Amino acid sequence: MDGVSPLEQYLERCGGQDDLSTSPQLFSPMSPYDVDLPIQTTEDVLFGSQLNQPKELPTDFSSVDLSFLPDVTQDNKEQNLPEDGHEMQKELDGSISRNEESGIFMDESSLSYPDTTQPSPEASGACPPLTPMTPMTPVTPASESSGIVPQLQNIVSTVNLACKLDLKNIALHARNAEYNPKRFAAVIMRIREPRTTALIFSSGKMVCTGAKSEEQSRLAARKYARVVQKLGFPAKFLDFKIQNMVGSCDVRFPIRLEGLVLTHQQFSSYEPELFPGLIYRMVKPRIVLLIFVSGKVVLTGAKERSEIYEAFENIYPILKGFKKAS
Amino acid sequence: EVSYSQSTGQKEQLSRCLQRGIRRVQDLCKVLQLPRVFEETAVSYFQRALQHPSFHLVSLEKKELLAGCCVFVTCRQHNWPVTMGTICSLLYAKQELFASVYLSLQKELELSVPALSLADLVKTHLNSFRLFQRAADVPARFVEDKEKMVARTMQIVELASETWLVTGRHPVPIVTAAAFLSWQSLQPAARLTCTLARFCKVAGVDLPPPAHLRLKELLEILLRMASQLAWLRVFNVDKKTVVKHIGDLLQHRIFLLKNAFCLEDGEEQRAAAPGEGSPGSPPAAGGAAQEEGCSSEGKRQHEGGRRPLLPPCLINPRKRLRTAAPSPSDSAITGDEPISDREIEQYLRGPEEIRAFRKAKAW
Repeated sequence: MDGVSPLEQYLERCGGQDDLSTSPQLFSPMSPYDVDLPIQTTEDVLFGSQLNQPKELPTDFSSVDLSFLPDVTQDNKEQNLPEDGHEMQKELDGSISRNEESGIFMDESSLSYPDTTQPSPEASGACPPLTPMTPMTPVTPASESSGIVPQLQNIVSTVNLACKLDLKNIALHARNAEYNPKRFAAVIMRIREPRTTALIFSSGKMVCTGAKSEEQSRLAARKYARVVQKLGFPAKFLDFKIQNMVGSCDVRFPIRLEGLVLTHQQFSSYEPELFPGLIYRMVKPRIVLLIFVSGKVVLTGAKERSEIYEAFENIYPILKGFKKAS
Repeated sequence: EVSYSQSTGQKEQLSRCLQRGIRRVQDLCKVLQLPRVFEETAVSYFQRALQHPSFHLVSLEKKELLAGCCVFVTCRQHNWPVTMGTICSLLYAKQELFASVYLSLQKELELSVPALSLADLVKTHLNSFRLFQRAADVPARFVEDKEKMVARTMQIVELASETWLVTGRHPVPIVTAAAFLSWQSLQPAARLTCTLARFCKVAGVDLPPPAHLRLKELLEILLRMASQLAWLRVFNVDKKTVVKHIGDLLQHRIFLLKNAFCLEDGEEQRAAAPGEGSPGSPPAAGGAAQEEGCSSEGKRQHEGGRRPLLPPCLINPRKRLRTAAPSPSDSAITGDEPISDREIEQYLRGPEEIRAFRKAKAW
């Protein structure tokens, strides 16, 4: 090691205290079978930018897991604009500069408590503070984000047409309608553009699924409402609301799900007997992620697309920690 | 002075449903021969769950499954290897229903359930193999030493885990395939001709369908490793004969894995084989760069060439229509566009059509 930066020197000292190895240990494996300890990984991740790319400044924030930091602090509350995917980064920056000093002390305590699984009270909930906090110099946002943007795959919305509907009548007069009262108490209607499906209930309530964006969902819902209007019903368009958004993306490296469920037990459910993916219930934002060994990630449960982006930016550094095969 | 309700425990009276459930939990613990403390934990989970609104009013069938789930969670929290399959068979339950009750339980009670320990599963699963004693239906050449078999199976399962064959897959078929390979390799001369199906039949265990695929994948890994063992290169080792050398391959597996596969770690690869792969690319460029380097190298030397160490789903990606990224015109949609009458009318039936439809459907 070059041993240039004070960070490395400090962490070397801490590593010496630990009798497990020379590198800072994050946790001790709970199962003796665990061959996939991401210890090397994190070390590499922490030092990677310094050792292997001496020319670059340590601006690659995405490889460092900082999601345990509190999301919103007094000072940067105003800066929080929920639209931007960079929201997370701004919060991190605010917190980093404040915690830089206290970081060293937090570090020692987390190192000497190797099998902690309880998140600290201030944890954002995205992951417990098993990762030692890196007292790096604060950097400007620029783009420490992962560089990957989740693609929206499905939007579910509802709207109230505010009039009673005769479903039999609709099924008779509309080409694109399906009605099987014994199977389901709604008309299933489809339009080609935007390619979507609607469930239309006799109460006048309607669910619209399949759109790839909020605007497309609204446009589609309006078209369904127009069809119902043309069929002679006094349909209105009230309380249109996006109920759920699903996105997906690919981090482009395989993930050791067994390791992830060990370090993030409180949020993860990995049952290969049931389902090949790991179900991660993020607390903030309240999003459910399905993480697969291939590196593909599905994010669902969002009411706004910023939640999907934020959730992915939260999980990406965690996943990068499990990138390396043992 | 003691009140009537206190002395007769009236306040502690449990509902019949709760009593039945607790009995079920206790029975399961007895059948599985679990330590006493497990029973107490499982019962307390069950009581908590039943009070929860999501479980209070579910069907009796689900409540029974809930009892099984509580036992299951308790076992897993104590790293006691029990599979859902076992609990389901004890309860004669449908696995999908069990799964949904289990996931709800985990979510509502916010339970953290550690992952199943494969090492422990190997020991438990092998216990049910009837191969360790001579019997009327177990021929002599099938009998094997239990310790040896457990040890070797464990090593093969670890190998499978290191080479991405375990993540995301059902655990039991992997153990079955590994047990078969370990059993074969301990006496290859006598056992090479035996099939996996026959092996399971004699051993008295089920043959889960994925076990064949796991076996195939394991053999592929072993063959690649064999290609790196100097003294094996002389023989033309194929997927049958590689079994004879499993002992050696396992002994040197760390070295062989490093040489047989491109690991994603840029540093390791550089240390192991300077000049090969893509030495210039920094690790931050991502595993993708390393994979590219490896796959191009793999193409150059097809036979016994190194391939990247990746999960099978990434090595053989199933052809799937990739949903195109939203086109610029899609992104420009505001949702407020005017909707033409013509567009809507295409979805409406004309009068002749309605007449014909009415006749056909006889509304």
